[in-house]
Amino acid sequence: MKKITDITLSKLTHSIRTLALGGLLGAGALLSGCAVTQQSADALPNGMKAGGHEYLLTVTRPNQLHVIDTETDQLLRSCDVPGTFGNGGIAISPDGRTAYVLSNKWEDIYGFDITNCEITFSAKQSSGNVQIKSFISMAVSADGKELYTVQNPVRKHSDRFETMEPRLAVFNTADGMNAQPVRTFPVDRRITKIAAMHNGEVVLGGGDLKAINPKNGETRLITALQNWDRAPDKWVPPDAFAMHTMGEHVGEFIMPYFTIRWNGEPGDESKADFLWGHVRIDLKTAEVEMIEKVPFEFIVFNWVTDPNDKDVVYGSFNQLSKHNVKTGETLGVHGLDHTYYNINMTTDGNKLYVGGAGNTISVHNPATLERTGYLRMSGDMSTSDLRLAVLK
Amino acid sequence: MFALASVGASSALAADGESIIRDRCLGCHVETGESATPFSRISEQRKTPEGWLMAISRMQQQRGLVITPEEKRTLVKYLADTQGLAPAETRELRYVLEKQPNVTESFEPWLQDTCVRCHSGARIGLQRRTEEDWKWLVHFHMGQQPTAELHAGARDRAWFDIALNQVAPKLGQVYGLNTQEWSDWQAADKQSLSGRWVMSGYLPEKGQFDATVHISELGNDKYSVTMDGQYADGTPLTGKGSGIVYTSYDWRGAVTINGVKMRQVLAASEDGQSLNGRMFKRDDDVLGGQVTAIKGAGITAVSPSYIRQGERKLLTISGNKLNGSVHLGAGVKVVSVVSRDDNRVVVVAEASQRAESGHREVRVGKLSSEMPLAVYDQLARVDITPSDSIARVGGGGGALAKQKSWYRAVGYAAGADGKPGTEDDIRLGYMPASWSLKPFDEIAEHDGDIKYAGTIDDRGIFTPGDAGPNPERKMSTNNVGNLTVTGTVHDGNQVVSGDSHLLVTVQKFVRALID
Repeated sequence: MKKITDITLSKLTHSIRTLALGGLLGAGALLSGCAVTQQSADALPNGMKAGGHEYLLTVTRPNQLHVIDTETDQLLRSCDVPGTFGNGGIAISPDGRTAYVLSNKWEDIYGFDITNCEITFSAKQSSGNVQIKSFISMAVSADGKELYTVQNPVRKHSDRFETMEPRLAVFNTADGMNAQPVRTFPVDRRITKIAAMHNGEVVLGGGDLKAINPKNGETRLITALQNWDRAPDKWVPPDAFAMHTMGEHVGEFIMPYFTIRWNGEPGDESKADFLWGHVRIDLKTAEVEMIEKVPFEFIVFNWVTDPNDKDVVYGSFNQLSKHNVKTGETLGVHGLDHTYYNINMTTDGNKLYVGGAGNTISVHNPATLERTGYLRMSGDMSTSDLRLAVLK
Repeated sequence: MFALASVGASSALAADGESIIRDRCLGCHVETGESATPFSRISEQRKTPEGWLMAISRMQQQRGLVITPEEKRTLVKYLADTQGLAPAETRELRYVLEKQPNVTESFEPWLQDTCVRCHSGARIGLQRRTEEDWKWLVHFHMGQQPTAELHAGARDRAWFDIALNQVAPKLGQVYGLNTQEWSDWQAADKQSLSGRWVMSGYLPEKGQFDATVHISELGNDKYSVTMDGQYADGTPLTGKGSGIVYTSYDWRGAVTINGVKMRQVLAASEDGQSLNGRMFKRDDDVLGGQVTAIKGAGITAVSPSYIRQGERKLLTISGNKLNGSVHLGAGVKVVSVVSRDDNRVVVVAEASQRAESGHREVRVGKLSSEMPLAVYDQLARVDITPSDSIARVGGGGGALAKQKSWYRAVGYAAGADGKPGTEDDIRLGYMPASWSLKPFDEIAEHDGDIKYAGTIDDRGIFTPGDAGPNPERKMSTNNVGNLTVTGTVHDGNQVVSGDSHLLVTVQKFVRALID
């Protein structure tokens, strides 16, 4: 019988946490949040503030990118995204200024300057008779110079489709409009969540978690999920919904998954533990944490980590809930007025936002989970990302 | 191909079908040069009429096919006739063509896990393809429904590889293009359906009916239809319409009965002497029921199908050429004949107090009924069919109508062991019941489902609530609900109830001809 203990591959120490946070915010940023006192000399247009000011970004139908000031919780501007709504996926440049939006049914990418809605980058991935879809998977390199997508191509012959091998596509963000990939490398199927690490690798969230070097395509296993090395009579291989990329507020990649631990006979649900697990990767240090403790009593699409205590995560769906991932303890539950697929929070940990599945964003106090604000958007957020841009 | 066409359709139709393929389809499909499979993809598949209609409609809507409605009808007919499914190949899966609601399927895990998590199993089982074409169908999914491999039940495994390399080869074996059943059916003698038929059936809004059906061939497998009969309560039933026979046995009828447009999906027996299937409202296909029709002499229904020891009651025997004396089996006598003609005999029957519990064969002259008459001591158990069901909210200003559900009570006597729920229970048949709803569980009770999800009428028809968010409800949820449907039968001194589970859910926004 194989080892079946709860595994924590590594634990983030307090010092690393601090480093990670500092790295994300950049030199000069305040850890205390919206950094209103940090208004820089090089003032940005349209009343936007740099120096670590934080903006919440989301996409609504029919297809608009929205910029919300997290200090005032006011909508600042809405940018029209060309093409049909995709999944509302957003990737943000490290300087917080460019938001890359996946449009046209997961095919095209548009990069917006969030200070003025100017489109500074575009890439149409499909061409000729090859249809290319990217499922959520977009990330920007830590230096902001490269944009990564996972492309799922299908060649449309006149009387049949031919499924082709998925690949990581690397774009130069400086190529501007109508950019073409400068490199591609084969990757696994079913990759959705990706993230760029500071070491240059790109995390590939698929059946297993892998990392690829976007310079040469070398791939390594970060941690096996579907092919994990646990006794099948003790554990059910994980199922990860793997929707929405997040973790930017603390510089991490986090992917929850569901599993079952059979404590009796396999299939004997009366003796089984139904558990949430997650893999959490520190994008600065590449350290990995994998743990299953939280009971599967809440439906969530994602966890968002409390910047002030990384053992604490929040999830949303029909309820907003707060959990200790190390002990499995439920720390709080708050009923929501409708389903919210998505969740995010500010870097100081003072505000939680839930959105998606409707046209409202609800703001909550992480300590009490009580609602503190409410934004009505112009359209349905559907599956859209809810991401935090920290404007340098 | 022409041998088959000459039986029903004219050879002109066959020529038309092929020329339509040449004119309309070869912009994309290619001629293979193989005589057995002359057109790429098209010749590598066999399907039901609905299956071909779906494929051609998809080509129109998504691939730029331009085709006139008349050409489309001709092509569906041609393909269903020449590349259809044999009676033996559709027999077990007709429920999906008949649009039977609340069917619970059971398929093997390899098919269940890969295909049936999205489709009905019947949709797959009603297609025949070469292994290569099954593989192209897997490829198609990645282009047409790219997220199919990311759904629950797919994302936790190498879905595409499994579908392509394990499931498609198996489909090529189990549902391959060339089968003995199809060869046999192509070689079989085909029968015209013209003639006088008698039909019995049940419609949820009206109840049991029987009717004389005149079917007249107009040519090219097209028929005119008239229906003339009555419901169990004596209300007359008259109908008129048309029908078309695909693949020389598969009847699709469009009949207006008492002003209501109905559809018939019926399979003719291979000898052309019976038609079995379902008749339903065109605009509300849940509201329909099984029907059976025969051309020759026979009994199609006995109603009611039960008589209690010591009971005296009216029995109606429906059928064709009902001549001769009525026999109801040991211990059950015909007290008097109330009325009779060729198609319907109404008798006063009486079961003696000492008549043994059990099933009796009903005979009229030389004819015997496949459906027995049950003699019983007392009603002991009531089952509600269907045992699990779905209804869907609708209306409320939305584009989609409500999807109702309906129920019937089936009575049982306890049998020799005196214990209901055991193997020797005696099935009595459908019994009149009164209907009520209650919350299925504590959550349903807490959420007030009973108040919002809908109502059930005295015919056992459940009508769900209006669609759309309801601000009165928790999280402004739709008028969904988790309910128990209770049918209560009063029979003699017995009052017996049975329960059934009803989930009232949201609209089905994607409706396929074959789900």
